[in-house]
Amino acid sequence: MDPIRREVIATAAAATAVAATTGVLAAPAPQAAPGTAFFMKGQVRTHYEDQGGNGYPLLCVPGGGLNSVLASLHNGPFDPFKEFKADFRCISQDLRNANAGQSSGPLDIDRPWDTHTDDQLDLMDHLGINKFMVIGFCIGGPLIWNLLKRAPDRVVAAVLAQPSGFRPEMPTLTYDGNMMGWGPELVKRRPEITMDMVQRYLTNMYKKNPDFVFTVTRDFVRQCQTPILILPDDIPAHPYKVAMEAAMLAPNAEVSMYPWKEPKDRIPIAVRQIYSFLKAHRPATA
Amino acid sequence: MAPIRRDILTTGVAAAAVAAAPRVFAAQTGSTNSFYVKGNVRIAYREAGSGFPLLCVPGGGLNSRMGGWPTAVFNAPEVFKNDIRCITMDQRNATGGESTGPVPVDNPWDAFADDQLGLMDHLGIRQFFFFGNCIGGSFALKLMERAPDRVAGAILSQPIGHRPEKPDVMYDSGKDVWAPEFRKLQPNVSMETIEKYLHNLYRVRADFAYSVSRDFVRSCQTPMLVLPDDSDAHAYQTSVDIASLAPNAEVTVYPWAKPPELKARTFNRARNFLKAHQPRTAAR
Repeated sequence: MDPIRREVIATAAAATAVAATTGVLAAPAPQAAPGTAFFMKGQVRTHYEDQGGNGYPLLCVPGGGLNSVLASLHNGPFDPFKEFKADFRCISQDLRNANAGQSSGPLDIDRPWDTHTDDQLDLMDHLGINKFMVIGFCIGGPLIWNLLKRAPDRVVAAVLAQPSGFRPEMPTLTYDGNMMGWGPELVKRRPEITMDMVQRYLTNMYKKNPDFVFTVTRDFVRQCQTPILILPDDIPAHPYKVAMEAAMLAPNAEVSMYPWKEPKDRIPIAVRQIYSFLKAHRPATA
Repeated sequence: MAPIRRDILTTGVAAAAVAAAPRVFAAQTGSTNSFYVKGNVRIAYREAGSGFPLLCVPGGGLNSRMGGWPTAVFNAPEVFKNDIRCITMDQRNATGGESTGPVPVDNPWDAFADDQLGLMDHLGIRQFFFFGNCIGGSFALKLMERAPDRVAGAILSQPIGHRPEKPDVMYDSGKDVWAPEFRKLQPNVSMETIEKYLHNLYRVRADFAYSVSRDFVRSCQTPMLVLPDDSDAHAYQTSVDIASLAPNAEVTVYPWAKPPELKARTFNRARNFLKAHQPRTAAR
């Protein structure tokens, strides 16, 4: 389908669905920003951006923890939409219930990681895309591992940039950050959600399996045959040790130079490596 | 031509040349190497594997010789011999090696490039990959400058680079390590000649990778993969500068030589780099 037509339909569908849903989506239907669109599945509304074109599909997961939104992608260390547009069709979305974003849906307390994976796979389905590549920043790391577990036959290759992970010396870092930042803001916007629900949701995300990359085991990574490129970081929420351990365990992983974000003139070198990696693993046909 | 037949022929040519030049080659007996001879220059080389050619230059500064491979951090002929046709050589006048020739005082970097391109010509190879450890990084850049249409891609492993805070590391290494041994072999070469040679290698362009300018690297379209190191002679900053300036260069993680799993991944990345940049057909 022509991308513009698809966007128009998606926006219209979103508006209709929003109007019909009073519980979860009580807020008025938002206007899609230029170049973005909505699609609905059940009670979930996803705000997404699709570059369109004939390039191989590249799902881009913005950083920002649970406030992962399109703007963080475009204002990050580099913007995949700009850097890879010549060969790839970049697609991204606001994470469900990110405060600054326009994607919303139920807070699925029992399946926190899987609901985000559902949303990503649903978006790909909505766009008629079976196989795709993925690049993710920060929370995109754990989300990508979960995608690889859930849909190993659909994800052709993955790039994990500054991935988040568990840091034993600061075991509640991410939980605490979200309890103080993301949770209270969400509760303000969504009266049906309580802090008790937020607390249970975050417990299941970050405290139930407080290890490694949160979403998968080392055994999973050890047997994962998907080509992986990891660009480590080393801030409290993005432990270098976890990034390198994952890179060493995954049989088809490679790793970038570190640091790669500072000084700034190293970023283009990292981008070049990602581009080569993506091109090298791009199947002949989508 | 089949590699084995080519080896036999080149060995035969070298043997004939050796017989014709007894003064230069008097020290050669029982070598397992093949030889290429051009004028006063004799280059010892070996080949392994088959496929698109990869010229592998060992590290060791002016003692860049094939005998260094077994202890090299990246033993390229060993790593790549099942993927590609590896050719390696002793550099001219490396002590412990079997390549000899005049000391090219006025044009040292070009003389190394002449030897390397001459060997490729001798083997009937037009286009090839280049792998260089240590001083091989500077050789790689010089080759790309001299023969941009012949070098299909290059891996620069632990390249040397000028370190402003220790500006004479390479010069001193040449003078204190290479020169005394070399003068035992060729006592007719004066220390004054050697100092002039080292000056032209490392002090005339005391910057960056010595052999070429930053402007050249900025304009160089050849794909490169840089594997940095960070020792006195192998300035990390030079590796990053090469990768930053060259429009088609990439750089690996650093450090990459340890642990073994990371080293293995780095070798795989190098292998993938060669695979990605191999021309469809080898231009011969």
